[in-house]
Amino acid sequence: MGLREVLESWFRLKGRSLEHLSFAARRLAGIIMALYLLLHLVDISTLALGEEAYSALLNLFSGRLGLLADSLLWSILVIHGTLGVYSAFVEAGYFLQHRRTLLVMAWISAIMLIAIGVWVIAGVLA
Amino acid sequence: MRFRVVIKRVKAGGEPRFDAFDVEADPSESVLDVVERISLEKDRTLAFEHACHHGVCGACGMVINGVERLACITRIGEVAKGGVVVLEPLRGFKVISDLAVDKSRMFGKYKLVTPSTLEIVDGGLQEVQLEKLYDCIECGICYSACPIANTFPEYLGPSLLALISKSGDGKVPAVVDSRAGVWACHAAFECSVRCPVGFKPGESIMRLRRRLLKGELRVEG
Ligand code: SF4
Ligand code: FES
Repeated sequence: MGLREVLESWFRLKGRSLEHLSFAARRLAGIIMALYLLLHLVDISTLALGEEAYSALLNLFSGRLGLLADSLLWSILVIHGTLGVYSAFVEAGYFLQHRRTLLVMAWISAIMLIAIGVWVIAGVLA
Repeated sequence: MRFRVVIKRVKAGGEPRFDAFDVEADPSESVLDVVERISLEKDRTLAFEHACHHGVCGACGMVINGVERLACITRIGEVAKGGVVVLEPLRGFKVISDLAVDKSRMFGKYKLVTPSTLEIVDGGLQEVQLEKLYDCIECGICYSACPIANTFPEYLGPSLLALISKSGDGKVPAVVDSRAGVWACHAAFECSVRCPVGFKPGESIMRLRRRLLKGELRVEG
């Protein structure tokens, strides 16, 4: 099975239910976080090149680019976390009859937490 | 009304291709009726499966405009987008020819299911034991809709695990408690949403998991 088929199957959105869309969002967030971890290993390794190189890299992410990058990272973290809590319950066999309600609650919490987080990040970077 | 039916054709040794057929049909006609007319009047080499024509045998499952459905109980007018209906074989199975797939991935593992037809039906006021045949019509739609069954060929699959969960004798084969069994499921629940008879395999898998976590089932083999 090729990577294309796998990605098409995981991230198929047309005609899919809220549960499947949430599965796709959770999985995508997980993949992005794994990639971010790799990127983070690369960025902290610039420390080996000296303080100046590291600071130059950090300065790149101040201002608008920083707000965008941090907001994205926070959103992905929140989506993975809130949907993860939903999935921890139903995957252990609890709240199966109410899983739709639980899922909607997870998405509402995610949106609220993302909004609060972006507001805080914007305040810190201002 | 005029419809354009686009069918994914897969023939032995050949590359998949899409053939388009323009047909006159009543919007309330079933997709299966239209496919049969195409086969009779336009292309006798078109391969597809059917038997009962009323949603009971499970033979006519296919992907209709991107969504898994039984062609015999799907009205063409309800699924056509701009008069176009795209038909593809079920995903997650080997294609034999055109819309016909090899479901041995599902049927080949039926030896894991303990024969039992007794189901506890909640009668509302009290739980009554009733002799009742399980409702799964073995259409394979749940395999096609599941993002894991599609990408992990060893996965036992939704309907099979659901049937095992209903075996009711307190034992499960070791493979059920493995990566190819209940632990492969990632709660996309597309199987339960698409199942044409409401058999709810997703919920059954999660209940099976809960019973395994609580040590209520004996794992054998
Ligand atoms: S569980 Fe539902 S979708 Fe799956 S094979 Fe049985 S009837 Fe078809
Ligand atoms: S022909 Fe039997 S279910 Fe469709």
